[in-house]
Amino acid sequence: MSEPSAGTDATVPGAFQPAEAALAADPGREVIVRAVALAKRYQLGKSNFVDALRGATLDIARGEMAAIMGPSGSGKSTFMHIAGCLDVADGGEVWLNGRRVDGMPARTLVDIRRREIGFIFQGFNLIPTLSAEENVALAGEYAGMSRRDALARSRELLELVGLGDRMRHAPSELSGGQQQRVAIARALVNDPDIVMGDEPTGDLDTATSAEIVSMMRAVNVERGTTFLIVTHNPEVAESCDRIVRMRDGVVVDDGDGTPQGTDAQGRPQ
Amino acid sequence: MRVLRNIFRRKLRAFLTIFGISIGVFALVVMGALAEKLTLLVDGGMKYYAGKVVVNGEGGIMGVGTAPLKKSMLREIEHIEGVRRVSAACGALLDEELPAVSMGNIPTIQAEDGRAKGYETFVVTVAEGRDLKNTDLRKVALGSDIVKKLNGHVGGFVEIRGERYEVVGIYDKTLTAPDNAVMMTMEDAQKIVHDDLPDAVKDSVVPDTIVSSFAVYLEPGERPEVVARRIEREIDNVDAQTPVEFERQVKQPLQIFTSVIYAIALISLLVGGLSVINTMTMSVAERTREIGVRKAIGASNGQIMRQFLAESAVIGLIGGLAGLAFGVLIAAGANAAGEVAGNVLFLVTNRLLVASLAFAVGLGTLSGLYPAYHAASLNPVEALRYE
Repeated sequence: MSEPSAGTDATVPGAFQPAEAALAADPGREVIVRAVALAKRYQLGKSNFVDALRGATLDIARGEMAAIMGPSGSGKSTFMHIAGCLDVADGGEVWLNGRRVDGMPARTLVDIRRREIGFIFQGFNLIPTLSAEENVALAGEYAGMSRRDALARSRELLELVGLGDRMRHAPSELSGGQQQRVAIARALVNDPDIVMGDEPTGDLDTATSAEIVSMMRAVNVERGTTFLIVTHNPEVAESCDRIVRMRDGVVVDDGDGTPQGTDAQGRPQ
Repeated sequence: MRVLRNIFRRKLRAFLTIFGISIGVFALVVMGALAEKLTLLVDGGMKYYAGKVVVNGEGGIMGVGTAPLKKSMLREIEHIEGVRRVSAACGALLDEELPAVSMGNIPTIQAEDGRAKGYETFVVTVAEGRDLKNTDLRKVALGSDIVKKLNGHVGGFVEIRGERYEVVGIYDKTLTAPDNAVMMTMEDAQKIVHDDLPDAVKDSVVPDTIVSSFAVYLEPGERPEVVARRIEREIDNVDAQTPVEFERQVKQPLQIFTSVIYAIALISLLVGGLSVINTMTMSVAERTREIGVRKAIGASNGQIMRQFLAESAVIGLIGGLAGLAFGVLIAAGANAAGEVAGNVLFLVTNRLLVASLAFAVGLGTLSGLYPAYHAASLNPVEALRYE
């Protein structure tokens, strides 16, 4: 991926800005996800609600590996869910692969999730009654592959993540790191354009976290798959191309080295 | 396979739920088999009564439990307009006392004068040995069920009312009244009926004039109802029964009885259905996060719905199969035990088995409908957040 380069804008202190260099070097670089002024309100009680997003705007470039950090309640998971077509926003626009997807019917969003997006979640995220290979194959089956083809693809991917000898094991027979590797394989079954990770290393120790991150990086490099990773872990974030910071439902730093509210060239948006 | 793995994730709960369904199906099979047997018995009666009029003493059915008629009535009836042929029959209970609890087919002694031959359409065929002839004094032919109670075989002897009779033949199974009947000559049967009479009237009745019932065969084109009324008008103290009357007297009460039986069985099955709803609802709640994951990785609402419906249908199927097996076993066991007493109560028919199993699967599916719908309509994000 791109080499880290020195920040060009001091108005965003501490921002990690490799993507800025990439985008600057290639201004025409394709945007895979564009979220504009996303708003999302959760009703908690009759008159009690939370504004999880209040105008979050962010572009993700094809092929990059971006981290989203922020305190609890900053809206980072909500942002990821909406960008990943798992949830719908109350306001704003979501563009994926060049077309606007907010407002599309749920049925269409399922199709988009199947073909274009992979998910990795924190902790328990495999189906306990299915073996590793069945877990991976399941995503393929949901997308319409035959069980046979899905299993073949599953085995191929499990080899890739180094679990060739654990394919028939149940999730409970795998370590936390191994389970997350299965989850990575599962996210890749349908050859998605982007993989979204919600605290993918949340339950793992430091060494295992690093292992999972480097595996995602390897996929990112070898396959060109875009990664968007929500994390609390600064080490995980720092291994990514850039760090997006959120607070109180807005993106306070998109990590490309320009002040928030301007594009990569510094022009107001 | 995957469905089974999910069902048996909670083994005890799965077992209890399946058990609940199987109890319901068991009840349906056993009670249904009882109803089927009774229905068949009555259908047999319907066949026997078809196309003829049966004359009993007042208050009797099928020649049993009635005051005896006189042989001389035969000619009187045969002279009535519309009557083509009359045959006399003599019948008694096999045992002197009616069993305290009697259901279905009671063992009887039957005799007829042979005049029905060529007129009667309800013909019982011989499985082994030969049919009884009018001259076969002290000989009997046995129905297919009664042969076991009496422990008889062709060429052997059986004891009836303290007397020994030689067995000349065994009839084919009819699944209705004749299976539990001992056929003997009129003369032998008349003696037994005579012995049964109260002492007060015994001396005034000559044994060889005793008749329990007459089968009246009609001239072509005559309506049984019309001829029956004529017989009752011209001969005192008799009931002339037509097929329609038999149906009204026996079949309709039976239908009420079978409806009640099925209703009880269905209620027990419904309780089983409620436990499926309960189990599936809990299962969905426990797997909320899993449902979120499934939706995130591409499961459509329909796929989630089908998954849970399949689970509840399979619970119904397994419960249904277990209940069927248990019910068939108990019915067969009860029949085997009842055969000794000449009391075969249950008839497990194919349509009963198919209907019971279909009902169990249908009930399982139906019970899973709401939980499955609930699972399918979960919001994936909320489901993923569920701890």
